Amino acid sequence: MTLFVHFLAAAAGTVAFALIFDVPRGYYPLCALIGGVGFFLVELLMELGLSQTEATFIAAMIVTLSSRVCAVWRRCPVTVFLISGIIPLVPGAGVYWTAYYLIMNDTDQALTRGFTAVRVAVAIVLGIVLMLEIPNRVFTRSKTR
Amino acid sequence: MKYSMDEVLETAVEAGHILLESGAEIFRVEETMQRISQYFGVDESHKEFFVLANGLFATGTTERGHFAKVRQSRVHGARLSKVVAINQLSREIEQGKYTLPEVKQELERIKNLPEPPKLLQILSSGLGSAAFCCMFGGGPVDCLAAFLAGLILYVFVLYISAPHMSNISGNLLGGALVTVICIFLYKIGFGRDLSRMVIGSIIPLVPGVAFTNGIRDIADGDYISGAVRLLDALLVFLCIAVGVGVVFTVYRHISGGMLM
Repeated sequence: MTLFVHFLAAAAGTVAFALIFDVPRGYYPLCALIGGVGFFLVELLMELGLSQTEATFIAAMIVTLSSRVCAVWRRCPVTVFLISGIIPLVPGAGVYWTAYYLIMNDTDQALTRGFTAVRVAVAIVLGIVLMLEIPNRVFTRSKTR
Repeated sequence: MKYSMDEVLETAVEAGHILLESGAEIFRVEETMQRISQYFGVDESHKEFFVLANGLFATGTTERGHFAKVRQSRVHGARLSKVVAINQLSREIEQGKYTLPEVKQELERIKNLPEPPKLLQILSSGLGSAAFCCMFGGGPVDCLAAFLAGLILYVFVLYISAPHMSNISGNLLGGALVTVICIFLYKIGFGRDLSRMVIGSIIPLVPGVAFTNGIRDIADGDYISGAVRLLDALLVFLCIAVGVGVVFTVYRHISGGMLM
């Protein structure tokens, strides 16, 4: 139930950002779906026992892959889906907790949170880069068939 | 050759410049400029483009001698509708649907595409804040508080920090402002989880475009631009954290040790 509510929230949040980034309206539903699924995957995988880094890595790959499929399908730049869809994965909360524990003089917690935030960011980078390496013709070929 | 090469290159540079300012990847900017000039008859041997995150350079050998152009650009936030429109335009140019004067006209139109209304942007910021507050475990009242903070934050962003401030001070003050609002709401009993309220409300400041584009540029091998954009993203993250941290520190001294 919580997972589902969070999925809806992530979808709504993604659309909110799509508007701020001036994504054309017609793409909102796909942005919402990609952003929602991305965040849902992170939570689901973490519940299944993966670490936040691993879960984010897999989610970032799925988000990038589906962004590319949608980009070919709707004939538009992949940026439109990727920038909006990746936002729910960005470790904004990690940055906050790091600052918070630094202020509270809890250096251990601050370091743990800070490193997790960096690891998550690296996981996003790797996930995106790996999926961008797939040559474009893989996507265009499957479309013409 | 139907068109003067100067005119073709000029048009290609204009298209590239709009793309760059709207938050497109370096790769897309270069490719679009190549496509446009190629289609209108300026081939590889007559031109060279060089694109960086904050400016583009174009030189060429034309019938009138030399063509050279440098355009600086500053990204003020993403305008993805322009990227989409130019992408579409460049595809249709290759299908032969446009003459050069028509392309110029179309570029002029795209350049002046209106921003989403400010009120909608402010509402989106509030909605985004509330949504992220919920995603990170905030309750309904916390989300409402984050919604309010997100609204006020974006009024600040649109009317004060974006037009008048540097990236650094804008994000620093943005982070601080949000924290002050959240502490205030928390103190008057509006919202139970101060941390989640702040996390939700700082999300509209998160540099999603710089971060994602930086990664894309590096994946494409455009290391300089990628590094610059990632540095930009990192700097914004740090500024937000410092903004939040400073307010918490002050508050902690005032309230005598405990945060919540």
